[in-house]
Amino acid sequence: MRVNPNPTDDILATLFQTQQAEQTALQQISTGKRVNQPSDDPAAAALYAGDVATEARIDQYLQSVSSLRAQYQTGDSTLASVVTALNQAITLGTQAANGPNSAGNLQQLLQGVQAVLSQVVQLANTSFHGSFIFAGTATTAPPFTLANGVVTYNGNSGINYSEIGDGTSVQVNVPGDQIFQQASGNVFGALQQLVTALQNGDKTAIGTATTAVGASLQELSVQRSFYGNSMNQLTGDEGALNQLNLNLKTQDTTLVGVDLSKAATDLSMAQLAHQATLAASAKVIQPTLLDYLR
Amino acid sequence: MGGLTSALIMSAQALLADQGALEVTSNNIANVNTPGYSREVPIYNEATPVQLGSLLVGQGVTLKSIDSIRDRLLELRVIDEQQQNSNAETQLGFLNQVQALFSNTSQGIGADITAFFNKLNQLSTDPTSIPSRQAVLTAANNLANDFHSTVAQLASIQTNLNQTVVQSVSAINELTTQIASLNLQVGTFKSLGKDAGALEDQRNQLINQLSQLTDVHVTTTEQGVSLTTGNGTALVVGGQAFALQTSVNSAGAQEVFSLGQDITSSITGGQLGGAIAVRDTTIPSVVSQLDDLAGGIATNFNAAHHAGIDLNGAAGQDFFSPLVAGPGSAKNFAVLISDPKAIAASSDGSPGSNGNIANLLAVQDQNLPSGDTPGDAYAGLISDVGNAAAQAQAESQASSLSLQQLKDQRQSISGVSVDEEATNLIRYQHAFAAAARVITVVDQLTQTVISMGSP
Repeated sequence: MRVNPNPTDDILATLFQTQQAEQTALQQISTGKRVNQPSDDPAAAALYAGDVATEARIDQYLQSVSSLRAQYQTGDSTLASVVTALNQAITLGTQAANGPNSAGNLQQLLQGVQAVLSQVVQLANTSFHGSFIFAGTATTAPPFTLANGVVTYNGNSGINYSEIGDGTSVQVNVPGDQIFQQASGNVFGALQQLVTALQNGDKTAIGTATTAVGASLQELSVQRSFYGNSMNQLTGDEGALNQLNLNLKTQDTTLVGVDLSKAATDLSMAQLAHQATLAASAKVIQPTLLDYLR
Repeated sequence: MGGLTSALIMSAQALLADQGALEVTSNNIANVNTPGYSREVPIYNEATPVQLGSLLVGQGVTLKSIDSIRDRLLELRVIDEQQQNSNAETQLGFLNQVQALFSNTSQGIGADITAFFNKLNQLSTDPTSIPSRQAVLTAANNLANDFHSTVAQLASIQTNLNQTVVQSVSAINELTTQIASLNLQVGTFKSLGKDAGALEDQRNQLINQLSQLTDVHVTTTEQGVSLTTGNGTALVVGGQAFALQTSVNSAGAQEVFSLGQDITSSITGGQLGGAIAVRDTTIPSVVSQLDDLAGGIATNFNAAHHAGIDLNGAAGQDFFSPLVAGPGSAKNFAVLISDPKAIAASSDGSPGSNGNIANLLAVQDQNLPSGDTPGDAYAGLISDVGNAAAQAQAESQASSLSLQQLKDQRQSISGVSVDEEATNLIRYQHAFAAAARVITVVDQLTQTVISMGSP
């Protein structure tokens, strides 16, 4: 039977194939990826694109978590200062209600309480990155104004929510009137009451007002717990997000990552095949009958 | 009557025949690497014997003909496989360019969509922040730019494909003209009852080249071969070639015409068929998916944006164009807002409200008209493009393999073997030497006869 007398085309085709195999293995090893273009594995490439989008979303959720945490911390530490200030007002009130106080002493105590009032107003007007955090959603203007000893709330009762996970939202803010002006404990009302009582020098009224400040302090602490609870929730969510991210990264490796030991084996096999083909071709191409006819 | 003279003539004929055979051999050896060459063999024929009384006396040898060894069916199969192979390879080349646009997962439209919604999420934590609002607009503009550049690159691939179409058609026309003229020459030889060997090789080689360009159906007729393409459009009939023309249609695509008839969609093989398939099927499908994506995002997002109130207290305006989804959406995708304050984040009119951002964010999980979310639609697009390229690659590999086998088979029949030719060389050399020896002997015998009468 006659065979193809000119196997050079075949040899070239085989050499191209082994060379291609070498390059593929090399690319997989150098990029660490099995799927370097969609056609390498269309289904995996599509899933990977989805994963990458989800990972980017999680990264953003984590960023939101950290900016929310900063806001919560600002709120929490502000309210901690308010608590300190109110405690000081209670001390002053108690001193005024119980001790025998001279007019000068009372005047001093009055000034002390007035200072507390303006300090608390200032604290209630705390802003974070230019937004007033106790103003509801009217965050562009200071929510509390103190005029003629009377504090007015100019914010609203709007509440913002932020997404920190697919389908998971957290409350961003608590409106100022809810924190400072609850019916069961109005911080500014109680302080104003104390100021009026001190101005009148009425000990009974001072005592009542001091008790009211104490009640407002308790109510404030209840409202303050929002920040603590929210930060705890953030920590929990952050853990879950990080875990999810880790799972996705693991999935990515399965989807498009290269099995290094397999790729290395592929490479050495392709090299071997290539060299063997070269060696065999070198032997096959040379002799013809003419080499032996002399 | 047989005699010395007739022996001398027979030997001379044998010398001629062997010389002819040596010529064939040397021609074979000379063409050992010529593409498309079919080896030739000398056909010796016994000369008609002469009857001498009761004896039939042989009259030597004649070189009857020189035949090319070829399997015409196999050659047709090579041509068939060739057009599939070159179709798949052309498609693969251009599809690789297409899929390169979707290979990088950290850049491009998919990443831009995610980044845009991420910036909105960031804004929700601080809705009055101008830098955060600016970041949203920047991300939106990046998305618009990438829609534009992807569509523009697809269009430029289509422009290249148009050039391929024009070049292929002009190469086809050149080949068909040559084939038609060879058809005439081969016909002349055939009518004289001769083997047109070398001319037929040339014609086959040209048909082979033609099959790399388009699908060719070969019919052997009395006038030589007839070539048709596509749905039976004639390319060559006998000595006449029918040139194809190209002409730009309203969409800017080069269409192929034969005798005034548009045959573009019927061309399925070769480089031309591959280029037309990618240009008219694959790329338009990718562009239409991009249009669905861009149009869907624009209309869904605008609807959500209308529901909100911006930082100036006005109701949300249209955020993206086009306002109505349809063909060209990706090309015309643009951000209509340049003022960061015009992002309608608020739901109650107060500047610090982020109530509408939840609605805006919901767009990324809202189904487009195709029934997928934007992210899924983009992933589907990647999978489609990848599948098309993977399929072209598989076809190209498979057809390369079978083409190689067919060529092997053709070579095993028609290829020149140097070993074989060397053997023949020795054979014909020996035959030539023997015939020459006979002449020497007859010469000596004649001398003997002449000197018989002399003293």
